[in-house]
Amino acid sequence: MRAWDKLSLRARLGLLYTVLLVFSVVLVGCYSYWNIWQLFISNKSSQLRARAKPIIEHWLIDNDLANSDNPHLKLNPQKAFILARDLTSRDTVAIVLNQKGDIIANGKRLPEEPEAPTPDKHYLRRALAGENEVTYRSQVNGKPVLVLLIPLRPQPASPRIFGVIQMSTLLTDIREILFHHGAMLVSLVAIILILGIGTGFWLIGASLKDLQVLLVSCDQISKGNLSQRVSVKNHRDEISRLAVSFNRMIEKLEATFASQQRFVANAAHELMTPLTGLRGSLEVLLRGAQDDPSAMARLSKGMYREVNRLIRLCEQLLGLSQLESSSNVNKQPIVLSEFFNEFKADAQVLAGGRSLTIQQGPCVKVSADPDLLKQILLNLLSNALRYSPSETPVVIGWKLVVGEVEIWVSDQGQGMDAETLSHAFEPFYQGKNTVVSGDKGIGLGLSLAKSMVEAQGGMIRIESEPGKGTTVSFTLPLK
Amino acid sequence: MSTDKNDNKIKILVIEDDPVITEFLCTGLRYEGYEVTPRTTGKAGLDALQQATFDLIILDVMLPDIDGFEVCQHIRNHASNIPILMLTVKKAISDRVRGLDSGADDYMTKPFSFDELLARIRALLRRSGRIHESKRLQAGAIVLDLQTREVTKDGKKINLTPTEFGLLELFMRHPHRVFTRETLLNRVLGYDYDGGTNIIDVHISHLRSKLGDRPPRLIRTIYAVGYAFYPEETST
Ligand SMILES: Nc1ncnc2c1ncn2[C@@H]1O[C@H](COP(=O)(O)OP(=O)(O)OP(=O)(O)O)[C@@H](O)[C@H]1O
Ligand SMILES: [Mg+2]
Repeated sequence: MRAWDKLSLRARLGLLYTVLLVFSVVLVGCYSYWNIWQLFISNKSSQLRARAKPIIEHWLIDNDLANSDNPHLKLNPQKAFILARDLTSRDTVAIVLNQKGDIIANGKRLPEEPEAPTPDKHYLRRALAGENEVTYRSQVNGKPVLVLLIPLRPQPASPRIFGVIQMSTLLTDIREILFHHGAMLVSLVAIILILGIGTGFWLIGASLKDLQVLLVSCDQISKGNLSQRVSVKNHRDEISRLAVSFNRMIEKLEATFASQQRFVANAAHELMTPLTGLRGSLEVLLRGAQDDPSAMARLSKGMYREVNRLIRLCEQLLGLSQLESSSNVNKQPIVLSEFFNEFKADAQVLAGGRSLTIQQGPCVKVSADPDLLKQILLNLLSNALRYSPSETPVVIGWKLVVGEVEIWVSDQGQGMDAETLSHAFEPFYQGKNTVVSGDKGIGLGLSLAKSMVEAQGGMIRIESEPGKGTTVSFTLPLK
Repeated sequence: MSTDKNDNKIKILVIEDDPVITEFLCTGLRYEGYEVTPRTTGKAGLDALQQATFDLIILDVMLPDIDGFEVCQHIRNHASNIPILMLTVKKAISDRVRGLDSGADDYMTKPFSFDELLARIRALLRRSGRIHESKRLQAGAIVLDLQTREVTKDGKKINLTPTEFGLLELFMRHPHRVFTRETLLNRVLGYDYDGGTNIIDVHISHLRSKLGDRPPRLIRTIYAVGYAFYPEETST
C-alpha cells in the first residue's frame, strides 16, 4: 500500500486500467478458446454418429436383428466384427462390447489404423443403462481421443440393449487447428493489450496534462508570482472547471494584494512628509540654529505639529485595522436626541467659535456603537469645518427613512468637484480643495467614516455641489 | 544669522506647501548664507519668478494647485536655465525619469538629509557657474587645500587630525561667526556623537598649538558661548 501511495496519479490510473484490460481480454480469450474447442468436439461427434447410424441400421437388417424379439439374443463375434470393421476408418476405430461390457470384436486390422482405448467402466455402464449419446475424452499412448458410446438396440426406440459400440477417433487434427487458433488468439490478445495499454496511458496522460499545467502554475504562484494564470483548453471537464475557479481565486487574491500594497505605499508616503519635516528641522537645529532662540521656537513648534500629525495618522490607521474584525463593534440601543445632547459639547470644541446647529429630528432609537457614531460625526464635522468659510453655518440633523434613520452633516462651503466626489472614500485620497481652517488632513477621514458606518450595517453617501456646499448622510438601523 | 559679508548673496526660491518643511529649509539655508524666498503654491512660485531673479529653485512635486512637473516645464518653456532641484516622496524610477524629463536638474526623495541637500545645492550652483568654489580656503598666512586636505602656514605644512581639519574648515568658511561647543560638536563629530562638549575644548587647544596661535588669537574663546574665528586683517 505504501508503494501504491507513492505512485503518481497517472501511474496509478494507468496501472489500474492495465490490470482491468489484461483481466478482461484474457477472460474473453479463454472463453472463446474453450467455446471453439467445445464446438469442434460436438461437431466431430455428430459427424461420427451421422456416419455410424446408417451403417448400424444396415447391419441390423442384414443380420435379421432388427425385428428379433429374443430377449436372450447373443452377439455373434463374427457379425460383431463385420460391424466393427465397417465402422473403422483411417482415423476412427470401433470396438463392439456385449451386455456385460466384454470386448467381443475390435475393428482395428491395419497397422495405420488407430488403437482403441480401453473402455471406461463408468461411461460404459451409463451407455448400457440406456443413455444414447455418451461422449467423453480419453487418451491412447498419450494421444487425445474422442470416445463415443452407441448402445445397440433392435429398434431405435427399443428399450432392449444387446451391446455397445465404442467408437474412438484421434483428436490430433483438432488439436492442430486449435493450436493455430490459440496462437492467433494469443497474438490478437497481445496486440489488443499493447494498443489498449498504449492508448490508455496516452489518454490518461492527455487528460491529466491539464492537471500537470495546474500544478506547475500553483508552484509558480506559491513562489510569489501572482500574475501567473493557468491556461487550459476549453474542455468542460472537472480539471478545466477547477482551473477556471482557481484563476478566479488568484485574480481576487491579486486584487486584494494590490490594494493592500497601494494602501501600505500610501501610508508610508503619508508618514514620509512629517518625517521629512522632523528630520530636517532637527538637522538644522543641530547644525547651529539651536543657538538662536527664535529659530529654536519656530522649528520646535513645527516639529510638535509634525509629531501630532504622525500620532493622528497612526490612530486612524489603527482605527481602520480594528474595524476589520466585527467583534470590535459594540452595538447597543441609542436614543438619538440624548446622544446628540451629549455630543454637542464635543462638537462645539471642534467648531471653536463657529456656528454649529444640531437640528432635533424625530424621537427614535437606533442600534449602533456610540463610540463609532461619535467618531463618524467628528470626522464629518471636521471636514465640514475645514472646507467651508468660517461665516457659513454647519448643520447636523437626522430624519426617518424607510426602516432606517438617516443622519446628515451639511455645510455651505466650496463643495466637491466630480473627481473628488468619485474618489472621496478612497483611503489617502485628498481633493484639490483649499483648506479654509485648521491643518491639512491625511485623506483618511471619509474612508474611515465609511468603514465605521458599514461595520454597523449602514450606508454613507455624499451630495455636493461645487460652490454651494456638501451634505454627507449615513444610515443606521432602527432599534 | 549669516555672517557672510557678501552682499550679492545667492538667491533661492523654495516652492513647497508643507509649512514645517518650508520652515526648516528657510532657516537652514539662511544659516548657510543663502537668501531664501518661500512660496507655497506653484502659481505663487511662478509669479515670484517674474518679479525677481533667482539662482536656484527648490521645487516640491506635490503642490496644492499645479503639479511640480508642470511648474518645472513651465519654467523651462520660458527658456530659463535656472537650476531646479525637485523634492518628492515617490521612490518610483518613473517619477525620477519624469522629473528629469520635465527639466529638473536634480532630484531628492523625502525624507532627505539636510547635509546632502546642501551638497546638491552647491554642486548645482557650481555646475551652472553661479559660484566658483575654489579648491582652497585662505585666511592670512593659513591656506587650507580642500582637495589634498593639507594645511600650510607661511608655506610650512601642518599635520592636522581629521577632526581638527574639520574645525578649521568650518571656522574658515564662516569667519567671525560664533559657534557654540554643541554646534561644533554636531558639525564636526556628527549629530549622533554622545560624549560631552569638553572634547571640543581639547580639540581646539590642539589646533591652536599646531597653528602656533598666540593672543590676540585667530580662534577666540567667546566667554560663556563658544568660539569664533577672526582671520588676520593684514592679508597678503
Ligand atoms: N465637507 C466637504 N466639503 C468639501 N470637500 C470635502 C468635504 N469633505 C471632504 N472633502 C474632500 O474630500 C477629500 C477627502 O476627505 P477626507 O476626510 O477623507 O480626508 P481629509 O479631510 O483631507 O483628511 P483627514 O480627514 O484624514 O484629516 C478631502 O481632501 C476634500 O477634498
Ligand atoms: Mg477629513
